[in-house]
Amino acid sequence: MSELDIVGKSYPQIDGMQKAMGKTKFVTDLVLPGMLYGRTLRSPYPHAKIKNIDASRAKALAGVKAVVTYADTPGIKFGPRSEDWTIFAGEKARFHGDEVAAVAAIDEDTAEEALELIEVEYEELPFVTDPLEAMQPGAPLVHDDKPGNIAAEFKIEAGDVDLAFKDSHIIYEDRYYLNQVYQAYMEPMGTLAEIDKSGRLTLWTGTQVPNMMRMTYAKALGLSPDNIRVIVPDYGGGFGGKMENNIHLVASILAQKAQAPVKLVNTRYDDFIAGNPRVPMYIDIKLGATKEGLLTGKDVQVVGAAGARLVYAMVIVATACYRVDSLYRFQHVRSKGYTVYTNTVPTACFRGFGNSQMTFVLESALDMIADQLNLDPAELRIKNGIGPNETSIHGWKINSSGLKDCVTQATEKADWQEKRQKKEPLKGIGLSCCNHVSGNRPFAREFDGGAGIVRIGRDGRVTVYHGESDMGQGQKTTFAQIAAERLGVPLEMIHVADVDTDISPFGLGSFASRGTLMGGNGVLAAAKDAFSQLAEVAAEMLEANPADIECRKGKFYAQGTPEKYLPFNEVAAQATFSRHGAPVVGTGFYEPPTVLPDPETKYGNISPAYPFACQIAEVEVDADTGQVTVTNFVGAHDVGRAINPMATEGQIRGGVTQGLGWTLMENMAYENGKIINADFVDYIVPSALDVPDIKPILVEPIEPNGPYGAKGIGEPALNPTMSAITNAIYDATGIRIKELPVSPEKILAELKKKGGM
Amino acid sequence: MRVPINITVNGEEYHLEVKPNRVLLDVLREDLGLTGTKKGCGLGKCGACTILMDGRPVHSCLLLAAQADRRQITTIEGIAAEEPHPLQAAFVAKGAVQCGFCTPGMINAAKALLDANPNPDEAEIKLAIAGNLCRCTGYNQIVSAIQSCTPSKSDLQAAERGESNE
Repeated sequence: MSELDIVGKSYPQIDGMQKAMGKTKFVTDLVLPGMLYGRTLRSPYPHAKIKNIDASRAKALAGVKAVVTYADTPGIKFGPRSEDWTIFAGEKARFHGDEVAAVAAIDEDTAEEALELIEVEYEELPFVTDPLEAMQPGAPLVHDDKPGNIAAEFKIEAGDVDLAFKDSHIIYEDRYYLNQVYQAYMEPMGTLAEIDKSGRLTLWTGTQVPNMMRMTYAKALGLSPDNIRVIVPDYGGGFGGKMENNIHLVASILAQKAQAPVKLVNTRYDDFIAGNPRVPMYIDIKLGATKEGLLTGKDVQVVGAAGARLVYAMVIVATACYRVDSLYRFQHVRSKGYTVYTNTVPTACFRGFGNSQMTFVLESALDMIADQLNLDPAELRIKNGIGPNETSIHGWKINSSGLKDCVTQATEKADWQEKRQKKEPLKGIGLSCCNHVSGNRPFAREFDGGAGIVRIGRDGRVTVYHGESDMGQGQKTTFAQIAAERLGVPLEMIHVADVDTDISPFGLGSFASRGTLMGGNGVLAAAKDAFSQLAEVAAEMLEANPADIECRKGKFYAQGTPEKYLPFNEVAAQATFSRHGAPVVGTGFYEPPTVLPDPETKYGNISPAYPFACQIAEVEVDADTGQVTVTNFVGAHDVGRAINPMATEGQIRGGVTQGLGWTLMENMAYENGKIINADFVDYIVPSALDVPDIKPILVEPIEPNGPYGAKGIGEPALNPTMSAITNAIYDATGIRIKELPVSPEKILAELKKKGGM
Repeated sequence: MRVPINITVNGEEYHLEVKPNRVLLDVLREDLGLTGTKKGCGLGKCGACTILMDGRPVHSCLLLAAQADRRQITTIEGIAAEEPHPLQAAFVAKGAVQCGFCTPGMINAAKALLDANPNPDEAEIKLAIAGNLCRCTGYNQIVSAIQSCTPSKSDLQAAERGESNE
């Protein structure tokens, strides 16, 4: 690869100043003429029959334009994974927060007032919130047609696990619990919905999956998919949480009924109780090793709570079951996963997607094994870590792997050896690794690539269209850098369009840490196409061979004679004139060399590239208060190549901070089936005071399948954080944390048991 | 019932009649179209709605518009002169902006700090923005952006040239 001008350099976000000046219009800022404001009435009970709804008083309130319930919907069952959704609760409400009715009014106050006038007659039903209890015979059924509340089962087995355990020198076995946490993106979910004369629906919404959402919603509304247009303006964070949610459909039904545009934005409370938080999981692990610390066999069982309807919990539980198997050189593994309905808020994607839960468990277990074998935990990882050009037990082709470099560089930076040896009371250092994907082949069965459109107009303005989603991570800037590099123009000549399903490619969206690799490769292919079209024109103008045309820094020239050049915009103008006004439109796509897993064995290759990481945390434990403080943090990440080092480091710092919050403070607490801390007063997320100086290290082995060598970073930024911190707590106190979050009460109780350190 | 108020927002005077229960945030966003001020929680706990009232940082979601009568209000739209404010430039250059939803409130909190204490140390900076939640960045770069606007650590010119000191 020749020298790079733009890729690999730290540019500020191309729309950063717009944001910093308060000029960016987020979803919640949008206004249309005649727009109404929506509010949702939600079930106050975790499980209740809806016997009657009387909305007459609400409808009579001045300023109310529509009141809708299940009766106003097509009544079609639908869902992104299992058709167990309805737009509003019909016969019964299945969780505290379930949609029961909604109002559209001339302002929010009126809508709020109208909600209070809707009279709903409920009959409370017994409920169940814990997935293990929900599986017990006689437990209340969330869906009458789902015995045992089982939404889905997953099974995978490779090698001979029982034999492997027989041959093991030691076996570690325990149960862990990973709690439910909330994405807490700063902008609550919301949407603006408008329906035109023909009945075509336009949704302006902050979504990570604009195209997939459209397919699901078309079914729900009884529309053909092309009668739904999704536009994705700038929005305030997602972290996995902003995918399909009933709020968009509630707004659509309101807009239909009121015959006016409706903006519906969750209150923060609504967002807590009816967003799509992380899948809580019970995980049983049995892990064996030889005397030398080579891993022999692993047997796990995962029980995850789907909540009251299936969003993506089944795929998340499946991911928890087997993704870590490709982190180390496992030979014998077995996993069983149960996804279980509960009368709780439907759970779904949150940075890490099940792999974060299992990484916590596996990496905790590894430290227990290292401890028993008296091995350096870093050494144990290096010994077992999967390397480049290896194939994992499930068939995953690891092209590039910087895992060992991550461990080496992180331990060096953190003075690991020295600090492990120098034991200071109540101070500890811990380490954890992880792997992840850059795309997930089985997530959408039809395909898993990416596509792009690069349009170059008369003035040389370059517009990049993609079908993924910039939720704030800086994807637009990454795509702009890729397009600028390939075209040979300065970054400021590139504009990246908001996703609009009427115009943009049919992208799958931003999840599975796939945006940079899949979308980036799609943009790269489109830029290549646009370039060759311009090169034809430039060749004619320069009287050269098109194959010899190059462009750098916005100047076209024939190879070898850079002094005889044409400015980019002159070539663009000539291209447009010679085509009688037609712009240059380059299109392209990327087909990843993945293999859809076998339905039985799950053998396949789910991603074109696999990122790796090693994170190290240092903690101090206050013996009087039980408070744990993270005092230092190093995160070494194999990112293939950082397209934009500053943005990549931003992902690491952000992911670590979210992981720190999960480990030490965050928990959605239930009482009588209701979340009792559904606001930022009682649900604490990290503030500037809680976060240490996080030191990112970028390990860049250059991934052959990545655009300019890049892999994903979004999720691996968080996956190892929890166990890095709890392994450090173990180092400091000998307390093994098996349930998150680590509350000061737990630490105090454990310290007491150990005899008052 | 409506309450007459006179407020100055970003140097412009407004004579408004507002409902007594209407909060300043809604007046700014809906009546004046100043949507740079964000609503993240409505309970004064996330800081996205932070504005400056007579130079001091205030949660505009908790403040009744009537309480802003005869006060000077500055929103994110008002802190830049012809050029972006140095804090805005530093936030962008340092990667302190990701989704950007917390940014206006965060910059206002930082501006209030620097106006009162032009040379704060790291602890003072963290304390000043402790009420402003950011879920994207992990705060490190926000602190670093604010530090770069203090005389002792001013690498602002580098920031304006778009260079990163990473």
